[in-house]
Amino acid sequence: MGIESAVDIVAARQQARALAAEAGFSTCDATLITTAVSEMTRNILEYASRGEVTISVVKKGAKSGVQIIAADQGPGIADVEQVMKDGYSSRKGMGIGLPGTKRLMDEFEIASTVGRGTTVTMKKWNP
Amino acid sequence: MTAATTEVHATALYETALLDYLAAHDEPALLRGYDLGRAALADGVSLLEMLTMHSRALAAALQGTSDDRERQRIMSAQSAFLMEALSPFEMARRAFHDANTVLRRLNEVLDVQVRRIASELHNEAGQLLASVHFALAEAERDLPQKSAHLDHVRRILVEVEGRLRNLSHELRPSVLDDMGLPGALDFLAQAILSRWDLPVRVSIALEGDLPVSIENTIYRIAQEALTNVAKHASAHCAEIIVRESARTILCIVRDDGTGFDDTASLRKGRPGLGLTEIRERVAALGGTLHVGLNEKGGTDLTLQIPLDR
Repeated sequence: MGIESAVDIVAARQQARALAAEAGFSTCDATLITTAVSEMTRNILEYASRGEVTISVVKKGAKSGVQIIAADQGPGIADVEQVMKDGYSSRKGMGIGLPGTKRLMDEFEIASTVGRGTTVTMKKWNP
Repeated sequence: MTAATTEVHATALYETALLDYLAAHDEPALLRGYDLGRAALADGVSLLEMLTMHSRALAAALQGTSDDRERQRIMSAQSAFLMEALSPFEMARRAFHDANTVLRRLNEVLDVQVRRIASELHNEAGQLLASVHFALAEAERDLPQKSAHLDHVRRILVEVEGRLRNLSHELRPSVLDDMGLPGALDFLAQAILSRWDLPVRVSIALEGDLPVSIENTIYRIAQEALTNVAKHASAHCAEIIVRESARTILCIVRDDGTGFDDTASLRKGRPGLGLTEIRERVAALGGTLHVGLNEKGGTDLTLQIPLDR
């Protein structure tokens, strides 16, 4: 789904919550997955103005999970390692933003090219 | 805005958002809860303040109705909103946990380095200086007329050796490497007895070796505390107790002296016990330190350090 405004953040969160329930996650975990979607969509609006979020239920053997792919064609990140450090963002090093989101998920990958954009792929598994 | 009006403002915002959620049950209201929590975290609002804000808002919501079924509905719906508001705090908690792990690893790396530097100073530099002594003795034989001059050089050399020894000991008492913590504490007790005539009982029960940083800290604190007891407390005897339980190391340095409590000793600026430095060492290991009176009227210095085995 396209992310261009705060209304889209709401829609993405709603979808994340529904798919988390479908994958059998507890309300707590569903809240954390929704949080991850909020952080990613917020980043898209803040740094790239628009982008795309794809949320789906995935399977690995007997496990179910939720996969979130957040992609944009924004300015990209020159030093990915640096933005993954706590305190890099303006949020006073409270461990939110990208590094905070990574801690909520089980798998987290970030690919970025300056001038081309950024794609974050992440999964959380249940159990 | 003053801090108080900011707080009133935040409480009002929170209350409105919660009431909106309870009325509409929709995602936009939950997102507002999340955003409020995120902003609160960045503003340094504590988890307890968040909960206070939530209970106030909830109380206001419940006051708005006297219908029992409506009240029940509110009670079961409010937790989803609270979870949204606290979710950023969960991210911060995880970050804190990770930071602690990194800090502990860093401490271990520093410990290993300190140990290496201490042993270099103690062994390598010591040997080099010993060879200078030999060279001096030879020079003295060949140049008896320069004896006074060479003697001066020797005195400086002895001074350098002393300083290096102190430095090495300060970094890592070699007795810890040679004898382990129990042996080192026995050795310390002997030293206190012969230097100050104060008998010290050592009682240790551990399930294995401790990390270097914890050994160092316990030894230093025992050394500092016992010296302080011997100098100032007019004690007849003292005791060092080291125990391990429930992933915690407990160390008590106990005396039967005149006693003093923590704040009083700080106020009087009692010499010897470098409480500030000791506290910093303990805090770096995530531990706590408490100084207080014991049953005998003396002082207990109690140290607790968490342990990962």
